[in-house]
Amino acid sequence: MSAYAELHALSNFTFLRGASHPEELVETAARLGYEALAITDECTVSGVVRAHVAAKESGLQKLIIGSEFRFDTGLKLVVLARNRAGYAQLCRLISRGRRAAKKGSYKVTAEDFADGLNNCVVLWVPDNQLLLGAEDAWILDAFCDRLWIAVELLADGLERLRMERLRNLGEALDLPLVASGDVHMHCRERRFLQDTVTAIREGVTLDRAGFALYPNGERYLRPREVLGSIYPGEWLQEACVVAETIQFSLDELRYEYPNELVPDGETSTSYLRKLTEEGMRKRWPDRVPAKVMALVEYELKLIRELQYEPYFLTVFDIVAFARSQDILCQGRGSAANSAVCFCLGITEVDPERMATLVERFISKERNEPPDIDVDFEHERREEVIQYIYRKYGRERAALAATVITYRPRSALRDVGKALGLSGLQVDRLAKSMQWWDGTEVDESRVLEAGLDPASPLIRRLLYLVRHLIGFPRHLSQHVGGFVISNGPLFELVPVENAAMDDRTVIQWEKNDLQDLGLLKVDVLGLGMLTAIRRSFDLIREFDGREYTLATVPAEDPVVYDMICEGDTMGVFQIESRAQMAMLPRLKPRCYYDLVIEVAIIRPGPIQGDMVHPYLRRRSGEEAVEYPSEEVREVLQRTLGVPIFQEQVMQLAVVAAGFTPGEADRLRRAMAAWKRRGGLGPFEKKLTEGMQARGYTEEFANQIFKQILGFGEYGFPESHSASFALLVYVSCWLKRHTPAAFTCALLNSQPMGFYSASQLTQDARRHGVEVRPADINESGWDSSLEPAVNSEPALRLGLRQVKGLSEEAGRTVVAQRERAYQSVQELLEKTGLNRRELSALAAAGALKSLAGHRHKVRWTVAGVEETTPLFSSLDRYEAIPMLRRPTEGQDIVADYQSLGLTLGRHPLALIRPYLDRHRYVSASRLGEISNGKRIRIAGLVITKQRPGTASGVTFVTLEDETGCSNLIVWKKIADEQRDVLLNARLMGVQGELQKEGKVIHVIARRLIDHSGLLGELTVNSRDFR
Amino acid sequence: MWLCVYLPALPLEALIDTPEPAAVFEEQQGIRKILLANASARAAGIGPGLTINAALALFSALRLDERNPVREARVLKDLAEWSEKFTSFVCVEAPSVLLLEIAGSLTLFGGIRTLRQRIVRELDSQGFHAGVAIAPTPLAATWLARAGRKVCIRDPGNLAGRLRTLPVTCLGWPDSITALLKGMGITSVGEALRLPRQGFAKRFGAGRLLDLDRALGRLPDPRVSYRMPERFIADYDLNEEESDAGLLLNICQELLARLERFLLSRQLAVQNIDFSFFHLQMPATGLSIGCVQADRAVQHWFDLLEIKFARLALPAPVIAIQLCAGQGQQFTAKSGMLQFEGQHKKQQSTSIAQLAERLSARIGDELVHGVMAVAEHRPQYAWQPRSNFEDIPHCANVSSWQVSAHSPGLLAEAHRTNSLVLQRPLWVLQEPELLVVESGVPHYQGPLKLLKGPERIETGWWDDDGIARDYYVAVNPAGVHLWVYRNRDKDRNRWFLHGKFG
Repeated sequence: MSAYAELHALSNFTFLRGASHPEELVETAARLGYEALAITDECTVSGVVRAHVAAKESGLQKLIIGSEFRFDTGLKLVVLARNRAGYAQLCRLISRGRRAAKKGSYKVTAEDFADGLNNCVVLWVPDNQLLLGAEDAWILDAFCDRLWIAVELLADGLERLRMERLRNLGEALDLPLVASGDVHMHCRERRFLQDTVTAIREGVTLDRAGFALYPNGERYLRPREVLGSIYPGEWLQEACVVAETIQFSLDELRYEYPNELVPDGETSTSYLRKLTEEGMRKRWPDRVPAKVMALVEYELKLIRELQYEPYFLTVFDIVAFARSQDILCQGRGSAANSAVCFCLGITEVDPERMATLVERFISKERNEPPDIDVDFEHERREEVIQYIYRKYGRERAALAATVITYRPRSALRDVGKALGLSGLQVDRLAKSMQWWDGTEVDESRVLEAGLDPASPLIRRLLYLVRHLIGFPRHLSQHVGGFVISNGPLFELVPVENAAMDDRTVIQWEKNDLQDLGLLKVDVLGLGMLTAIRRSFDLIREFDGREYTLATVPAEDPVVYDMICEGDTMGVFQIESRAQMAMLPRLKPRCYYDLVIEVAIIRPGPIQGDMVHPYLRRRSGEEAVEYPSEEVREVLQRTLGVPIFQEQVMQLAVVAAGFTPGEADRLRRAMAAWKRRGGLGPFEKKLTEGMQARGYTEEFANQIFKQILGFGEYGFPESHSASFALLVYVSCWLKRHTPAAFTCALLNSQPMGFYSASQLTQDARRHGVEVRPADINESGWDSSLEPAVNSEPALRLGLRQVKGLSEEAGRTVVAQRERAYQSVQELLEKTGLNRRELSALAAAGALKSLAGHRHKVRWTVAGVEETTPLFSSLDRYEAIPMLRRPTEGQDIVADYQSLGLTLGRHPLALIRPYLDRHRYVSASRLGEISNGKRIRIAGLVITKQRPGTASGVTFVTLEDETGCSNLIVWKKIADEQRDVLLNARLMGVQGELQKEGKVIHVIARRLIDHSGLLGELTVNSRDFR
Repeated sequence: MWLCVYLPALPLEALIDTPEPAAVFEEQQGIRKILLANASARAAGIGPGLTINAALALFSALRLDERNPVREARVLKDLAEWSEKFTSFVCVEAPSVLLLEIAGSLTLFGGIRTLRQRIVRELDSQGFHAGVAIAPTPLAATWLARAGRKVCIRDPGNLAGRLRTLPVTCLGWPDSITALLKGMGITSVGEALRLPRQGFAKRFGAGRLLDLDRALGRLPDPRVSYRMPERFIADYDLNEEESDAGLLLNICQELLARLERFLLSRQLAVQNIDFSFFHLQMPATGLSIGCVQADRAVQHWFDLLEIKFARLALPAPVIAIQLCAGQGQQFTAKSGMLQFEGQHKKQQSTSIAQLAERLSARIGDELVHGVMAVAEHRPQYAWQPRSNFEDIPHCANVSSWQVSAHSPGLLAEAHRTNSLVLQRPLWVLQEPELLVVESGVPHYQGPLKLLKGPERIETGWWDDDGIARDYYVAVNPAGVHLWVYRNRDKDRNRWFLHGKFG
């Protein structure tokens, strides 16, 4: 059998052309005994890191990095990197091509190849003309001895002719010939998918795709004996010769951090030490605790050994910039919770506070790069990003990519279209596949959608969808993962345009960077930081008190009292329905309790059934046991229940004998097991490893189940620890300065779980006086005003007024030298148009000028827009008698315009009706005993159907006294789906369930009372 | 006296006639929402405003149709025709209202009550749910019907009192206006009437004030009657029997000239015309002419007529000629292609279209059709007949070499260039023919020698006619070049003949 190296193969990273994953190509090439495989995706190297990892695992002899380029003239070239310098040339070439075109496309011309790519190999792939056109003849001079003619024989019936012509052409041009396969898939069976993605790419159905499709499925990795029967031996041999001249592996990439951060006369080591010591003196002005001193020394030593100083200096520089701009930020991640980072101000979490946290910091053994994510105020993150671009330039800083892949729904949509299903049919199917697990489809659901599950069409559809899921569709930008390098980035990895103007992304994503040991800094946006900074500002402006994240009084018992009550609407992380219900049971009393609380109510721990064991153990109902001393060390801080991602990995090491590196790969596999359909070799290794170390099978299975449960959601302790600080600070603000906190939240909307209406109602229940939006009192933002008692009142800002632009709102405030006296004056001074005036009128903000809403609207409607500045209101116009709006009408108008009302709650108006029908109010639930049958009614404010709660829908109802929580089991939900979907005002007959302070109503029957509301629209926030 | 028929469920009733849950949806700002649902769908909780996804979540086997305004207009027109039996004066108010002037019909139909009952009953039996109201002004009748008031107001003096309680939402005013009124606390016609007239006109438009005045009978409200759609019919009576072809053609030409004037004045064009030649003792002889594009030019029709007329054997002398033209079509830019492409091209394209027409006229429509090279790898689909009168279907963009490679007509040209072009026989068998195989060699008038191949074609799996074949060019002892294949996956020893090279 002849030896062969495939030099021209496309993976599915050539979007909608290639029909196999890079890993599949590599594994198949290894199995077929190819000498080498080149991954040559079209103007991209996005898939090569995966191929690189797979090549190591599958034992492929050689992986070649290359790329295919198509020119406007029809010319097609394949460029292969021969060495590190050639790889840099390739990356630069791809970057040029990508940057010259809009996102997702590229454009190359002869000029881009002018440097001759002297460290590359170039294959020319002739088209059916079998001619080198005059406009393409430059390649002969440009590449001279590096150029081959690729002969691709694909059973089109013309092989003999082609071989003969190309042989002549090779002689005429003095070019060597080499066999290659134009590979688009790893096996012939993928031709169905290849045809399908072609049709998707062309935007047509398969039966209209015509010659855009390939006539046959020959573009696969053909076995060597097949190739031997098609190609002359010398051309196959030539492929191996070419492959042998190539000596490059991605392992050679060395990454250098920017070195300009170190001032002259310092080394990065001495400078980091200097900054750390300066910070230490600031944190502890009197005396640095000995424990901290020791920790800092230990960490600095480790950093020096691993040469990570530039990384810490880079992050420090970014954080220092944010601080200079008064942008609140907070680091998280394994390295972020170090004493060094606390001293550098990257985190505000005091290492002393974290006494119980076993620091993970940087693992020397694993040689894992440090990981620091920094959260910034969401509205100001862009300033930080622009700073980074300014400082390092576009050549050296770029965002990591995120590969957007096909999900079941998008795959179904595209395949359905290609097969000629109508949009409506596809919609129906998509609907019926909501709970599709990726492999099997419930036939009855297909039937329900009006399609026959046994029909060939549907079988084809499902087959294709199943295989298309997980295919990359396009590159997007990572939310904030920056790569910053010392030299030009494009010599390391190609850079391309992102969808946003002024953004560039590299062609690799986060995992690729990690696999190659490259470092990145995550610059993320967090709404709560904005709200906290605004709270601090409001407090300072109101009474001069000055707070920072670090100086908010720590461990205040009244704050924990509030948290234990589940009274946490609006705070960070622990505000969700599930969290609130958990708080009275978990009873957090210290910082570390919050760290656990942040991590525990997540799909991971819930699916792995960890929440209840933890609760039972915490309340003393269940004994805490450890199967071994090693396990005790890992799990002691969480009472024997693995809650954090780190614990799972540590368990794999201590209990199943994983190496740290394997544990890290396990973590990666955890995130992807659903897509890949299992943990593969890890499952066996894990359970067998544990049993070999004397753990019971039961324990092993339980741990395995927990790992599956973690899935993509497993939360690391290192992140939880940083989030817990924001949880605490936001709770402290809510408890001690509710007006300022609510005001800040309103000004930071949209964010969090709750609407402006719920937030203001909650504030009022906590004694905050909320004042209406008023043309003469309000600013654009909501603000604090002095009130009779010492607590400030909250004045709603004009930003709450629906339909009023920020520009118009700010003009109103800026032109208000003294209070406006009339609509006429307002108009003359501000030049508002009728739409903006109407918005103000609808919000009731003109009440002080023109009376009740009906009058205001009449007045405003009379404004003539054409001449807004000159006497556009007829002062002598007759003013009709208009009815004053009813209370109900005002409430409706409030909700429509402001999204909230300061009047009575709508339910208060219909309470007499509700009383007659024996509905109780939410505030009375506490007095009723467990198990009683009751009726309750309220506005539906949230509906939540967590994927983890097996079909249960959680509904929150709100009445004039507060909120009540419903549990709707699947059976009731199915029976009364229309009420559950449509009711805005829902009545419920059910049973009261009490567990300590946690009260639920188990629904038995749902009644739609929306008719009672008239036109009131309350939008439920639905979460899945 | 006006009777208003209001059809609130017309979008549904025009499309759907099934007791199964069904609904009509409409796309609003990119979101498809339910517009109307039938009774059984409503029972499942599906109502107007629901998104399609929500509706399907409630009842997944729901039948859904997109609203079809053209269909609604047609149904409304049909109903207008039907209602002409009650009165000669019917107005159509799109999208869902008919107005019948019934003052003159009352005695004929036994009084107002009987008439009204009969209209409601007959509409009901046709599957239309209607609101019917009677009032002295057309607007008042319309508003009352829309509001669902089954009233009959005869005395204009009662009008104001009865209208006062109507909600402003049934006036058919734009939503922005009714919302504005509502914002001022004005929800009824009575409240609107109390507003100062000048201020009212300024805020809501003079047209709205006019509406109020007309509804109350303060101002006249002239209406235009609905008429039957126009059809062109013209006769020419000869004074005596005539069989001279030249004379008959002259008369036809004059009739065509009248048609042209008729069409021009109405901005219409027609695609088909019918001549009838009447004889004294025999049934009339008919002659129909169709053309590719709707037209109104007399000369064009006349050219076609001449050709057909020459082949027409009149059984007897003619005593009269009638010309009928079908439903008028708007004279659209179907022929825009010709105008678009500039003068010299015009000549060329017209000649092809006209050639087809002339050929059809000579040898009959069913025998003339084009051959189309279809972009398709499967040989059995690569050529398809197409009628002259269809538009060429859209095909995916394909690069030019691929197209030319498969177009038989361009085969000869291939030899002039260097490029590789697939070989396709000019003569393709409709059904492949199984060949005799002797000791592994296929025979067709002798053993075959394979010259070229294989050309592998495996595609078409998406319908039920996928193939996976290896094609070869073969030659038999007589020197005939043949196109043969065998299947890739099954029966690799069976050979088929699929074509012969010229």
